[in-house]
Amino acid sequence: MSIPSSLVRLTGITKRFGGVTVLRDVQFEGLAGEVHVLAGENGAGKSTLIKILAGIYSDFEGTIELDERPVRPRSPTEANTLGVAVIHQELSLIGPMSVADNIFLGRTPTRGGFVQETKQREAARHELRQLGLELDVTQAVERFPIATRQMIEIAKALSQNAKVIVMDEPTSALNAPEVNTLFTLVQSLKQRGCCIIYITHKMEEIERIADRITVLRDGQWVGTAPAADLPPAKLIQWMVGRDLGEQFPRHAQHFGAERMRLENFAVYPTGFSSRAAVSDVSLSVQAGEVLGLAGLQGSGISELLWGIFGAYGAATQGRLFLENTQCRFTAPRQAIDAGVALLTNDRKATGLVLSLSIIANATLAGLRAISPGGWRSPSRERQATETLTASMRLRAASLDSEVGSLSGGNQQKVALAKWLQIQPRLFMLDEPTRGIDVAAKREIYQWVEQWTAQGIAILLISSEMPELLTLSDRIIVFHRGAITAEFARKEATPELILAAAMGQKASA
Amino acid sequence: MKSFKSALSSPAGRAFLALVLVLAAGAIFNADHAFFKIGTQRDTLRQASVYGMLACGMTLVIVSGGIDLAVGSIVALAAVCAAKMAIHWNWPWWQVVPACLGVGALCGLVSGWVTASLRVQPFIATLSMMVLARGLAKYASGGMKVSTALPNADGSYRYVEIPALFHGIDHSIFGGNLSVVTLIFLVCVALAWLALARHRWGRYLYAIGGNEEAARLSGVPVVGAKICAYIASGLFAAVAGLCQAAQEQQGDPEAGAGYELTAIAMVVIGGTSLMGGRGGIGLTLLGVLTIGYLDKILSINAVPEAGRLVLTGIIIVAAVLTQRRGRT
Amino acid sequence: MRAKLFALLVFISLAVAGFAQPAKRTYTIGMSQCNLGEPWRVQMNADIRAAAAQHPELKVVFNDAQNDTLKQRAQVEEFVSAKVDLLIISPKEAQPLTEPVARAFEAGIPVIVLDRAILGDKYTCFIGADNKKIGKAAGQWIAKKLGGKGKVVELKGLMTSIPGQDRHTGFREGIAGTDIQVIFEADMKWLEPDARKEMESALSRFDHIDLVYGHNDPGAHGAYLAAKAAGRDGIAFVGIDALPQEGIAYVQQGILDATFRYTTGGAEAIDTALKIFKGETVPKKIVLGTRLFDKSNVATGGEALP
Repeated sequence: MSIPSSLVRLTGITKRFGGVTVLRDVQFEGLAGEVHVLAGENGAGKSTLIKILAGIYSDFEGTIELDERPVRPRSPTEANTLGVAVIHQELSLIGPMSVADNIFLGRTPTRGGFVQETKQREAARHELRQLGLELDVTQAVERFPIATRQMIEIAKALSQNAKVIVMDEPTSALNAPEVNTLFTLVQSLKQRGCCIIYITHKMEEIERIADRITVLRDGQWVGTAPAADLPPAKLIQWMVGRDLGEQFPRHAQHFGAERMRLENFAVYPTGFSSRAAVSDVSLSVQAGEVLGLAGLQGSGISELLWGIFGAYGAATQGRLFLENTQCRFTAPRQAIDAGVALLTNDRKATGLVLSLSIIANATLAGLRAISPGGWRSPSRERQATETLTASMRLRAASLDSEVGSLSGGNQQKVALAKWLQIQPRLFMLDEPTRGIDVAAKREIYQWVEQWTAQGIAILLISSEMPELLTLSDRIIVFHRGAITAEFARKEATPELILAAAMGQKASA
Repeated sequence: MKSFKSALSSPAGRAFLALVLVLAAGAIFNADHAFFKIGTQRDTLRQASVYGMLACGMTLVIVSGGIDLAVGSIVALAAVCAAKMAIHWNWPWWQVVPACLGVGALCGLVSGWVTASLRVQPFIATLSMMVLARGLAKYASGGMKVSTALPNADGSYRYVEIPALFHGIDHSIFGGNLSVVTLIFLVCVALAWLALARHRWGRYLYAIGGNEEAARLSGVPVVGAKICAYIASGLFAAVAGLCQAAQEQQGDPEAGAGYELTAIAMVVIGGTSLMGGRGGIGLTLLGVLTIGYLDKILSINAVPEAGRLVLTGIIIVAAVLTQRRGRT
Repeated sequence: MRAKLFALLVFISLAVAGFAQPAKRTYTIGMSQCNLGEPWRVQMNADIRAAAAQHPELKVVFNDAQNDTLKQRAQVEEFVSAKVDLLIISPKEAQPLTEPVARAFEAGIPVIVLDRAILGDKYTCFIGADNKKIGKAAGQWIAKKLGGKGKVVELKGLMTSIPGQDRHTGFREGIAGTDIQVIFEADMKWLEPDARKEMESALSRFDHIDLVYGHNDPGAHGAYLAAKAAGRDGIAFVGIDALPQEGIAYVQQGILDATFRYTTGGAEAIDTALKIFKGETVPKKIVLGTRLFDKSNVATGGEALP
């Protein structure tokens, strides 16, 4: 048997963003005719590595070799020309344009400036037929279901004679038969001699199609091995590692009566006619308890919190109970009035109004309470903000400073202050320490402690395993919109959590 | 010097500087001392007032992240209604005024509903209202100006008195040195300022313009607040239309053409950002005065039309550029 | 000239009355108006309608191109396919409408062009007023009124339009050789609020103004309001257009001292149409005279000027 040729080799890749090192001395090799899975937790560095390969980041240390030739793509277009194609999760197709135009975007066959429509259509049909697809290539791409669009994207990659095809979570929007079609396609690509770099969190998929697996952890290369040598337990161990870094003090537990309960809850972010992000969720949380929600991309946990909060309007099913009273929130305002708060996972996009002052942001959710009859009092607002932020060690020139000028940690404190002002009974925190320095993180952990002592029930989403394990009293794990496991604090370990998050039903 | 520099870095400081520069230009090019006469000051304020009322409403809408292109047409519709009610139908002022305001509010309600509930882009929604309101104005007036010349059956005309309401608006007080229209404008400024700077609704508008999704997730009633902004804009436009009719002593269905652009220019020169989330009524007032005085200086110096357009355009562009550099 | 026309009209009406027979056929006239957004053109259509109403054998179909040249082209072509007996057109622009009108003319449809000319000669008759003549008449009236000397403010219409330019040059011709000084002139773009604004500037600059000449009645009216608000008496105001509910009304109310009719030509168009139907030859170009309305003659319908 001949040794397969090395199609792509990355050596010594190091990437820094400002002072933060995201990838450190990472290596990777993809062979012709293999499906090579790239695995790792959230934040392990997988997307950054792929972006370097795809020419999106050209500023890095290390070397890339394609077909044993050193290259350094400076743009995605250049990477395409070199034979590297990336099928992103957010597809790069242009909705209103036709299939044929999309496939040949940037390489439209022309004569004297005029598009050769017929020639383009024929070539497009040819590419799609190779994948077993017969489509009307003059239709706009957006009219096709997402599974078909993914195929079109792959056809586009192939028409550029890509030899290295990267697929980033390709099945996140597909149902079972569509996944089968995709895997058949992957097999045929293998036979053509391509190298498929496949990124996924789903254990069942890794077991199904991986030839070799490379694991990254915290920006470093952990190892590469044939799939047969990496059963799930060992794979998870590689992904999670043993040392959890700084240990934060575990908090004491104070529990009260049941605060919130979900029965058969389902959330449909894009309306009832499409797939649910989570379905059949039943859980409860008590006063003073921190319930951790764990899940990888596509698990639906953020969407669950939004659904509870009423951020998707009436697109939810099932029952929600607050202190045993059934509630249904069809707008955030209703949830807030009932004492429910949601700290979103992207403070710049959905958490704060960056052009407004600290005072304005901190008083935004609870403005009604301090403006009787609608009239605002700047002095009352300032006082309320001072009270809220007094114990927060907020570093800002003044409370009138624009929130956009603050550091990440201080911005997050303002967002938290906003929610504390409404005195929530249920506080939902989605990645509360994302993008925050260590000192601010410690402060937030201490506050969680205080809040539980005050009897607030907390739902916590965190992709940082140590944080989740330290803060949570219980952890419920989700995979693709369904609960796969529940652990009490004592029995939870990173390996068990990750296994459940990747789809393994808890057995041990 | 340091405080001067820091004053310049604020939008209010820059707007104030622009006004001071224009006033200085007026003092220099004073057209045989005409600029210094108190009558000239009174006239400048009077002329700028109708645009200024529109600018008040426009500020509210722009701060919330929208735009209202229909205000010029609403001026015409309100002027025609006011003239018809007051002159032809002989209604008393306490019926004419609420009816006109109602017309403006209704137009604003439709614009706001289409923009906020149906989620049509404000530019398109208010452009449609601009055409619709203009059409209604022409329909209600029969295509002719509604004036004190009433047609008789045989084709001749009889003349009626100018309504007391129009007299009441189009005259000057304080020894003839301040026009009532200017007073009405200042009341509009006060009301708009109170709403934007001191009312909860005003804070909501800033939040919506700054980051609509974050505002929504903080419990801000986005749809309701936006609709109210357009209703307010329609109300201010109706007041402007009423003043326009009083000053022309007739309701002209062609009135107000292009006024929306002047109002937007005043808001922009004042320093309110077209992207929303920043700015205020105080800034708009400075912008109104800047453009009003610029217009007057060009007029008393009998600058030819082409020169006026070029100069005004250059100044607007310059003002916008200095705003951008100032922002960190 | 107008007297002759008038006499001819009387003769024809008598002749028709003399026949005393029921009308043999109806004539359909297509009227293509460029823009009913202008009150003066609304008046033009009203004049046509009123003149046609007196002749039951005439049926006029009105079309409004809403200031859109292409729309007007299409409307002309529609009239041609509908085989109207005669086309009256007040074109938006000369160049783009010349071709469709020529085609109508060549198809055997008589064409009367009103107010704005088209190029070439493929039409039956052009009827229009002469703005230069009107401006000059105004200038001469003003010179007479002021006794040959005085300070005058000229408020001009849109100077990029031909009527504005003509009313300006005509006026200057009318006052040439006198001691009349134009101390302030500004472009008020035909709009009343703008005229008021410019007049206020003039008032603040000049303590002594004898007369204001506005290129249209709304402009003169705006100037009048400015003077009244400033408490300045003794200024005379002259305008142009003389629409019954505007300029003439203003003269009757004492707001304007004089206004000059910018004849729409509507009535004359119908008269010419009737002549064409009778098979008579009509002149290629009929220049409408103007009519002066001032305090002395407004009650009696003004005074025609040559």
